[in-house]
Amino acid sequence: MRERPVPSRQLWWLAAGFTVWCSALVVLYAIQGIGCAFAWPTGTLRLWLAVALLVHLIVLGWMWRDIARASPDFGSGPTGALLHWAVVATLITALVATVITLGPPLLLTACI
Amino acid sequence: MSESADQLSQGATALRLHRQLSAIWATGPGIQRLAAVNHSVIGIRMMVTSFVFFAIAGVLGMLTRVQLATPNSGFMVPETYNQVFTMHGSMMLFLFAIPMVESFAVYLTPKILGTRDFAFPRLTAYGYWCYLFGGTILTVSLIVGVAPNSGWFMYTPLSSSAFTPGINSDVWLLGVTFVEISALSLAVEIVVSILKMRAPGMSLDRMPIFAWYILVTAMMMIVAFPPLILGSILLEVERAFGLPFFDPTRGGDALLWQHLFWLFGHPDVYIIFLPMAGVLSTIIPVFANRELVGYRAIVVAIIALAFLSFGIWVHHMFTVGIPHLALAFFSLGSAIVAVPTAVQIFAWLATLAHGRPRWDVPMLYVFGFFFIFVMGGLTGVMLAMVPFDWQAHDTYFVVAHMHYVVAGALAFPMLAALYYWLPLLTGRTAVHRLSVPAFWLVFIGFNMTFFMMHLTGLRGMPRRIHTYSGDEGWNWLNLLSSVGGFVMTIGFALVVIDLVVQLRYGRRVRRNPWGSTTLEWAMPIPPAPYAFASIPDVGTSGGKSTASGDLATSLASGEGYLGSTRNGWQEALGVHKTSGVPDQLIVLPRPTYLPLYTALATAAAVLAMLFKFYLLSLGFALLTAGLFVLAGQSAGLSRDYGPLPVGRGVSVPPHTEAADAPAWLALICALVADGTLFTSLLFGTFYLWIAAPNWSAAIKPEPDLMLAVGTCVTLLVAALAARGSLRAVSAGGRAGGWIGLAGLALLAAIATAVWQIAGIVPHPREHALGATAAALTFYVALHAGIGVLFLISNTLRLGAGFISPRRVLDMRLTRLWLDYTLVTGIIAMGLVLALPALVAMLGGRP
Repeated sequence: MRERPVPSRQLWWLAAGFTVWCSALVVLYAIQGIGCAFAWPTGTLRLWLAVALLVHLIVLGWMWRDIARASPDFGSGPTGALLHWAVVATLITALVATVITLGPPLLLTACI
Repeated sequence: MSESADQLSQGATALRLHRQLSAIWATGPGIQRLAAVNHSVIGIRMMVTSFVFFAIAGVLGMLTRVQLATPNSGFMVPETYNQVFTMHGSMMLFLFAIPMVESFAVYLTPKILGTRDFAFPRLTAYGYWCYLFGGTILTVSLIVGVAPNSGWFMYTPLSSSAFTPGINSDVWLLGVTFVEISALSLAVEIVVSILKMRAPGMSLDRMPIFAWYILVTAMMMIVAFPPLILGSILLEVERAFGLPFFDPTRGGDALLWQHLFWLFGHPDVYIIFLPMAGVLSTIIPVFANRELVGYRAIVVAIIALAFLSFGIWVHHMFTVGIPHLALAFFSLGSAIVAVPTAVQIFAWLATLAHGRPRWDVPMLYVFGFFFIFVMGGLTGVMLAMVPFDWQAHDTYFVVAHMHYVVAGALAFPMLAALYYWLPLLTGRTAVHRLSVPAFWLVFIGFNMTFFMMHLTGLRGMPRRIHTYSGDEGWNWLNLLSSVGGFVMTIGFALVVIDLVVQLRYGRRVRRNPWGSTTLEWAMPIPPAPYAFASIPDVGTSGGKSTASGDLATSLASGEGYLGSTRNGWQEALGVHKTSGVPDQLIVLPRPTYLPLYTALATAAAVLAMLFKFYLLSLGFALLTAGLFVLAGQSAGLSRDYGPLPVGRGVSVPPHTEAADAPAWLALICALVADGTLFTSLLFGTFYLWIAAPNWSAAIKPEPDLMLAVGTCVTLLVAALAARGSLRAVSAGGRAGGWIGLAGLALLAAIATAVWQIAGIVPHPREHALGATAAALTFYVALHAGIGVLFLISNTLRLGAGFISPRRVLDMRLTRLWLDYTLVTGIIAMGLVLALPALVAMLGGRP
């Protein structure tokens, strides 16, 4: 019996996790630049940065949970299995990368 | 007896099919070679051309080493030295590294995918000619002494007209942008072909790992090149017309160039590395006699690597004064990018450890790669640490690191690939007596040259200095570096001799001498122009394998798909993107001179711009656009066919009647590239707003609300009219009225945009505020103008019968283009209208 082809649009999910990572990097870098340019108080700037980071982490966590549950949709034979595994792996990797690259710097001097 | 009769009959069938296919696919002799569009021909030409530029760049590198071998050297005057080292870097990166990996991709990818050619052969040819002409412009500038001289990354303000008033920088900006057109067009070609033209049954999980690498690399190119193209355009516009994007005295910022350059420059390292990693992931399992360990993990690693490589561009700018917090984002990103790289290294080591490795010449170079790339990777992690980078920045330590990661990661796998695939091209293998000493000379010479640079760098030797006094403690290290450079050159010369000897005297081999399982070995060697006499079905090869040669014999006698000829068409199969199920018959264009003429027109536009004949340049640019429209007039089929048999009991429609035709995906890729350029322009505007001096003191901008809204409304009308024309054609009606309406709306949009540019305050030459508003508005006008070209093409093709209710792809492409133009138009006009408020906000800064 021929397997049901995985819809082509599922390929976009391979880029989803790291697109959120890119978004987090750009948004945090922009907030830092704007905050420093307009001399925001350090506490306010750090708060905005933390909120932006948290929002991106929530999005990544939600996507991970959602995709992990969605295995039947991906499960069209070995192709579906590969894509499902790869998407979940990229989401987890992106989540870890977001925490490592954007978390600790928030403790550093903001505008010097 | 009967078996031998079967073999004879199979051989006769194969010969007949070969003759029929060759008559259709072959490039003509003599002058007709200039009309070649075949991927094998273009791939080899590109490979040879890139190696010629490699040789020139290598000689330039040797000249720098002669200059630096001893202190107080008078071998070259400073101006000559500046041109030599700038051209060495520029040629190595833009004329050798990127085109060379592309040439491998062009030559090998269709064969490894089991298809006959790329989706857009004329685009492949155009890309090659652009590369050749752009590279030639740069090379000639060197001969006549006006070569670029501001370093290979052309930092402003050194490269601006104030400090480089001649045409040196213009040569780089225009020549390199010209070459980038080639890179982008080939990237689109590669993405579309990998996703849509694999052998039937080659679902994504069965796709050779090489194709994953090339797919991800091509996607990276689509996103990485536009920021540099934008930067080059803005800097050329500043130099030619005085719009001050990078001039801080008029509201620009020199650091904007660095951001735009490194948004391209850092991913570029991985654009070079990933295809070579693909080569290693292909070669190592063959020589280890086992499957690649960690296929799935490698797929994830290269996706992660692709993204992470974009997010760390600022690590080239650690010393420009960015606050610690932001530096840490990029420092940590630069450190963790080592993780997905390490995943691949460990996968290769595990493959070797679990297999039964055998040594041959390609494996020598694989060993060389491991040694050099790991060293380069480790110094990369050192440089990712901000405090160390502050000490080592702009010293020879960085030069050493860069050569270890870029040159080492490129040169050694490249030579491994050459020795591995040359039997495919020539039918012969290397002469070991030459290739082994050649390897050791290259390996020892390489390390001798570049390892010493770590030490000179740590002793404080700045990069790019013309000479040194001799009392700094660098003398013996520099001398050793220079000697090493010559040893390495002797090694490369021996490689060339070895290859020439191989061509003439190498031992003849049967097909697939390495026992590989990939499809490029399931064809005659050297490959025929049609690559496969019939297309394999990867899912049901019936026990026939590439390694044993059964599959090749079966394909040659036409037992796969498309094992016969029809209407003199160059036929290939299109498949579903994920499953590899055939869904269309792709009819490819035959050889034509159009790519050459179009590239010549583009070159003329570039040269006219270079010599400041701006109206002439505009004329040639319009001619180029016209030739593109002309090329479209013969694309596709002029009548409906319905499903056509393609063999093995399968019938599919021609691509002109398929919903998911290659051109649709190609336009999406092109729009992704275009959207990246647009996003870079938005980034540039916001960057100048926040970082450039003098914006709050500038004359308050007064954008015309009515004109801006008028531009958006006319673009909306055009987009709606495009939908109307698509509906009309689909229903079998006439679309002339809708097309006319869309055309009028676009002309109105252009007129309102030009009117806005004419009235921009402050004047675009006086302040970057006006210059960015002009750039945003011009972007909208340009896209509306290209929309007009789409409509002209639609009209011509409707008249010629290339569009019918079942063949509406043209109308869908136009609709997509105008939708994109509308969305970017609204964003651009919105930002132009918001500029006064943004400037007013700056007044509130402490």
